[in-house]
Amino acid sequence: MHLNRTYEEINERIRSGEAVVMTAEEVVDLVREKGVEKAAEKVDVVTTGTFGAMCSSGAFLNFGHSDPPIRMTNIRLNGVEAYGGLAAVDTYIGATSMVEPPGKGYGGAHVIEDLIAGRSIHLQAWGPGTDCYVRKRIDTCVTIDDLNEAYIYNPRNAYQNYGIATNTSDRTIYTYMGKLMPRMKNATYSSAGALSPLLNDPHLDVTGIGTRIFLGGGEGYVAWQGTQFKTTVEEVNGVPVGGSRTLALMGDMKQMDPDFVRGLDITGYGTSLAIGVGIPIPVLNEDVMGRCAISDAEIFAEMVDYSLPSGRTCMQRYSYEELRSGSIEYQGRRIRTSSLSSMHGARRVADKLRDWIEHGEFLLNRPSMMLPREGAVKPLLERKRGE
Amino acid sequence: MVDHKIRIDFNEGNVLESVTYTLVSEFDLRPNVLRADIDGDGSGFMLLSIVGEEENVCRAMARIRDMGFSVRELSGHIIHDTERCWSCGACVSLCPTRSIHHEEGTMRVLLDTGTCIACGSCINACSVKAIQLEL
Repeated sequence: MHLNRTYEEINERIRSGEAVVMTAEEVVDLVREKGVEKAAEKVDVVTTGTFGAMCSSGAFLNFGHSDPPIRMTNIRLNGVEAYGGLAAVDTYIGATSMVEPPGKGYGGAHVIEDLIAGRSIHLQAWGPGTDCYVRKRIDTCVTIDDLNEAYIYNPRNAYQNYGIATNTSDRTIYTYMGKLMPRMKNATYSSAGALSPLLNDPHLDVTGIGTRIFLGGGEGYVAWQGTQFKTTVEEVNGVPVGGSRTLALMGDMKQMDPDFVRGLDITGYGTSLAIGVGIPIPVLNEDVMGRCAISDAEIFAEMVDYSLPSGRTCMQRYSYEELRSGSIEYQGRRIRTSSLSSMHGARRVADKLRDWIEHGEFLLNRPSMMLPREGAVKPLLERKRGE
Repeated sequence: MVDHKIRIDFNEGNVLESVTYTLVSEFDLRPNVLRADIDGDGSGFMLLSIVGEEENVCRAMARIRDMGFSVRELSGHIIHDTERCWSCGACVSLCPTRSIHHEEGTMRVLLDTGTCIACGSCINACSVKAIQLEL
């Protein structure tokens, strides 16, 4: 028996309130008990979720024109630099842009969180003053309701798996992978594992450009492949053992919920944005369900030494089941583990997306274009001019 | 038996006296030094967890105060802002007493103030400043 379900059939069931929706964690047990065929027959949609630091994130904002108008070329939002190279009152605020002077633990990610939370933002902008835009300076306060458009556009989110960080040196190091104690006292990892969007659709068979998703508590879309998209990583149990595919995501900030968008201040690194991402997986056939059934025990990641400035090679592989147990063993010694992405948050994302679909508030759409089947990441070479 | 968290401040004049010996020998208390910081000028503080009869703890605090120390009971020496905390878990592997852990099932991050020794290792590991020491 071969199941061949269509998007139209799934959406019809969602509209009539009959769709069976389960999270990617819940289907692990279902498939174990009933088998892939029965599980695929029963479930229409599997929801996934992740909620972690995603540095390559930011937002496009349009402030509207003042009277007289200004062409903003130098822009600060709560003291954080936003891009001044777009049209007069458009800008892009990146998550890792730091407040000036830096060191206060506030950055673009916090501006985004504050906007979504409805808080007032101090806008300062300067311009050259032109015949068409005579004004040279503006100093005002804005909330998200004042903005014409405010939408997230994140060039690289939802990393398909990631590495495990440890520190073999004699001093504590502070990295984007968190605080790493000397002599491998701890190790950190950052993936929702069995609940992670791209680990449940590892070859992007059903996720592509235009896929409607949960983004930061509102509705968003897959816009493009993410930057540093790569398909060349070794696979175990059908999923890559390290950072592999990525997605560029976008969504309307005005729909978002500060519970799912948090500005982070990572000691020694800088600021970043934690954002909840949930992707619904339509169970079109048994193969799709089979891939959603992957468990933490079957997904592996590689531990590397972050005290090395470069050339970090794999020390050992561990499953997410081992990582979540609280400690792992390396050459006879125990290393305690910490997650950097919130599993609690990932579950809330997947649960909320399931609720939306169950209540007929969220329909699935067929991607308008699939993402590349192949992709490799090139390094940055240093050359002299003309070489 | 109640567990009290007490902060005792020293100065150059009393830094050599043994407070913990007094607590044990005169009041039958079980003190545990959670943290002690003494500067080169002889001033400093000690954070104690004291287990014993309520009445004995009260009398002991009065006695230590008479000995010239400044004594203060701490209600919450560490504060976990559960609204701010997004339960990432970055702090979990840093806690030497495993006072920070994921709640079974929900995976929410919880902090057990009873076993926390106020080492402060978690403070700068928190990306949203949800943990604060109040010593």
